[in-house]
Amino acid sequence: MKPAVIATNVELGYGRNVALTASSFEIPAGAISALIGPNGSGKSTLLNAIAGLIEPLAGSIEVQPVGGMTRRVAYVLQTTTVNDALPVTVAEVVAMGRYAGKGPWRRLNSTDRTTVAAVMDRMAITDLAKQHLTELSGGQRQRVFIAQGLAQDHDILLLDEPISGLDLPAAQAIDDVIHDEHSRGCTVIMTTHDLAEARVADHVILLSGRVIASGAPADVLTASNLSEAYGASLLHVDGDDVFIDDPHHHPATTRHEHRER
Amino acid sequence: MQLFLEPFELAFQQRALLGGALAAVALAVIGTWVIIRGMTFLGDALVHGVIPGIALAVLFDFHVLIGAALAAVVMIGGINLVHRQTSFSEDTGIGLLFVGMLALGVILISRTPSFTGSLTTILFGDALGLTTADLITAGVVAGLVVVGSALLYRPFLVLAFNEQKADLLGLRPTAAHTALLVLITLAIVGSSQTIGTLLVFGLLVGPSATAALLVRRVPAMMVTSALIGVASVAIGLVVSFYADTSGSATIAITPVVIFFVVLTGTSLRKSAQAGVRPADPGRT
Repeated sequence: MKPAVIATNVELGYGRNVALTASSFEIPAGAISALIGPNGSGKSTLLNAIAGLIEPLAGSIEVQPVGGMTRRVAYVLQTTTVNDALPVTVAEVVAMGRYAGKGPWRRLNSTDRTTVAAVMDRMAITDLAKQHLTELSGGQRQRVFIAQGLAQDHDILLLDEPISGLDLPAAQAIDDVIHDEHSRGCTVIMTTHDLAEARVADHVILLSGRVIASGAPADVLTASNLSEAYGASLLHVDGDDVFIDDPHHHPATTRHEHRER
Repeated sequence: MQLFLEPFELAFQQRALLGGALAAVALAVIGTWVIIRGMTFLGDALVHGVIPGIALAVLFDFHVLIGAALAAVVMIGGINLVHRQTSFSEDTGIGLLFVGMLALGVILISRTPSFTGSLTTILFGDALGLTTADLITAGVVAGLVVVGSALLYRPFLVLAFNEQKADLLGLRPTAAHTALLVLITLAIVGSSQTIGTLLVFGLLVGPSATAALLVRRVPAMMVTSALIGVASVAIGLVVSFYADTSGSATIAITPVVIFFVVLTGTSLRKSAQAGVRPADPGRT
């Protein structure tokens, strides 16, 4: 499969802080790719670079065009990075996705409004249209942010920890959307803390300040690679199963729903 | 009603009402963004940071708006310098520039012959001594702030939501932030003549904070905030007329009083809706 993203000796970071040392890898088009690694391993930095939010310190990372057209990127932010105090309704937050390429002044047209209504319906948040973010549960907020990303025309969907901290039904609903996007040919790239989630992806990139391995889950998530990424003390090998003993890495099924406020 | 209208039979009171209302509208619109983006401390610092510029203008006889704008540029440049060159959070730079500029302002004013009089005018304004030229300035400033906020509504809104999202949607967050700082400075500087630098802050924060308790969307917040601001000016002038108190100070205290009245009302309503007694402050 042709790559959607090609990185060549890319070095990423902010100012003098290098988050990812020179790494080369490809991310396949039309597949679900998981970026996994310990905290501070460069997962979100890599996502930001793919989105074009930061320029590489060295080397290159390029989203490849398809059929002569630029691939359009939509980015679902981590819910914790958003200003809750903003007095906007759920409908307004989702509609922001349609501002892409419209600049400050061009008005939203009927296509924009239809798209917003459709993604809200798809994420089952139509009933919440007039609510504020502060009035939602963690799972509802995450659905709103995913709807905002889906509202933007996109060929690549980036998600930063989409399932982190959610209860099982909310995580399942988001997982369904990820697979629907995949089915329609969209390239999905997401960061995760969850080894089980990475195992079911089509492609995995294991990070720890650099790309340790990139490829099929079975080839990447080996005991030796994981031990290199997380350090041997955090790994527990039980027969063929490997567990990561880190509070951030408990599987979603054992977590309680987390409300931000 | 006659009791309310009587103070405004005097021409200087009418000018105070008009000037104060124009300042209130400009400050309400821009104050909405200040509250939403959590820039209250920066707003406070800017209000006081422009004083040395005004003092220089008084000393060397040039327009106070130019002096205040120069001081604001120095202030914002200094805050950015501290923020970029150190690992301190932004409020450290704001604090340093705040006290430095305010002290510099007082030092400059202390070199003028009528020290006390000049300082009082700069800090508390002279709402009851407004000229037609002052009113035109206030009108132009209010117009620029309202039109600027309307034109840049979308970039400001997404910037307030999340800076990265603004960047991803092509809404240039850095340029939007700079434009917002320019509009905040314009509103503060333009109003400082009417009600004084120290008291601009009351109309910048009070009405917008009150509006945030009452309405659920940004445009509604701006309109509500402007109405509260204009009402505060009118109420403040009437009270100061009958109670013979300082006009500017009475105007400035009004939105703060309104805020706490509304806060009490909304808290009581929430408690009633929840079916519980008001929270015991001693137990929170």
